[in-house]
Amino acid sequence: MKISYYPGCSLEGMAVDYARSIQDVFRQMDCELMEIEDWSCCGASASHSLDEAMSVLLPARNLAAAERMGLDIVAPCPNCFNRLRHSQETIGKVVEKPPWKVNGSVKIHEMTRFLTQEFMLEKIRGLIRNPLEGLKVVCYYGCQMVRPPWITGFTDYENPQTLDILAREAGAEVLDWSYKTTCCGASIGIGRRDILVSLVGRLIDKAQQAGADAIVVSCPLCQSNLDMMQKAAGRSPMPVFYFTELLRLAFEAGSWSKEWFRAHVVDPVDMLRKKEVFR
Amino acid sequence: MEPGKSEERIPLLERGEEYVHHLEEEAGSSISACYQCERCTNACPVSHFMDIKPHHVIRYVQLGWQEKLMASSTIWVCLSCEMCSTYCPNQVAVAQVMIRLRNEAAKSGVRPQEKVLAAFHRTFLNELKRFGRVNEVWLMASLNLRPEVAVEKIRTGSWKYDLDAAVTLWRRGRLKLLPHRCRDMKEIREISRIKGEQK
Repeated sequence: MKISYYPGCSLEGMAVDYARSIQDVFRQMDCELMEIEDWSCCGASASHSLDEAMSVLLPARNLAAAERMGLDIVAPCPNCFNRLRHSQETIGKVVEKPPWKVNGSVKIHEMTRFLTQEFMLEKIRGLIRNPLEGLKVVCYYGCQMVRPPWITGFTDYENPQTLDILAREAGAEVLDWSYKTTCCGASIGIGRRDILVSLVGRLIDKAQQAGADAIVVSCPLCQSNLDMMQKAAGRSPMPVFYFTELLRLAFEAGSWSKEWFRAHVVDPVDMLRKKEVFR
Repeated sequence: MEPGKSEERIPLLERGEEYVHHLEEEAGSSISACYQCERCTNACPVSHFMDIKPHHVIRYVQLGWQEKLMASSTIWVCLSCEMCSTYCPNQVAVAQVMIRLRNEAAKSGVRPQEKVLAAFHRTFLNELKRFGRVNEVWLMASLNLRPEVAVEKIRTGSWKYDLDAAVTLWRRGRLKLLPHRCRDMKEIREISRIKGEQK
């Protein structure tokens, strides 16, 4: 099966570990990711902060490219997904026509939801050789993936389940907690570090109180915030995984994934060894 | 005030009416429907860092107190996490209103209270127009080279945190030094010139 893939800027830099683990997981699952041709940035929060037209037209450029490819899109970054969906919803309401043909007809999949479709789950089940037994995790969804529900299409936006399902399939014990969709601070740290530290500190506290060994995320910005700021917030280290890293590890134990784990600020290797899921 | 003498007041909505209608159209949602239940403020993860709380922002809009809003830190501190809009019982798109206010503030000559955050959005768009994609290293470098940001970072000493983060990320192999430039930059520059107007 083939699907067009919109990685987004973060996956080329800060989230290399996410990018590599996605490629690996999809290769194992026999699902071909066709990178959208000459894709450009979705505009993130900057474009809708300063220039509404750009925030609609920038993602539309990528939608048009996917339409030309004739494939549905899967987006791993929740913010990109949100901006693409927003653009798809508003493209018809902007007076100025985009300089190319776009009708917003492709389906935009959020990656965790794409993988929790029943036929994808079945594929995943068939690949699990190294279930991560004994690993206790909480899943953290953040904002952009689930809110606003009329853009994202999540009906369970208060208690989303997609990451929970995937982590459970990987064999981990998924704990319940109340902070699944509480904002981590996004890019606020660039100007107001105090706010970021306080928000991240609270999330780490709550994850620890729930009894988790690690946090599972799907957002590059959440990952880097939670991973990098917990030391500044004075909390004891708690690894933050992308869900694809856990899936890949559950497919096969081995040291091949060391390269991704090296990118983490809080090194998860010792913890994983202790749980005997990583050799 | 002396008893019996009535204070001369401008009727509340006289000033705000126009502004409310203007913003309602821009944000594509009702603003007049707000009855100050404070659900937005209670849901907001950063309301305690804001100088004007979200429910007050809506009230200020109703009153037409534009200048106070433009000069507030609130419009820059807002994370667009959409908690407020999601939980508003009257479907007021609070987060969208904040974004519109931020748009207005950026176009006005008002000095933003959160200088670095305002400069960040500007720099992000500039980088985007230059390469089509955004490279974190170049983004942070151009941001920190802006005079107003550099002065602010030296004054508060926060440049040390940036340096520390850069070293950590470099060691972890998470920094990509060379930016990728999109092939069709003409198209992206064309987009940035289009001034959109909502229907």
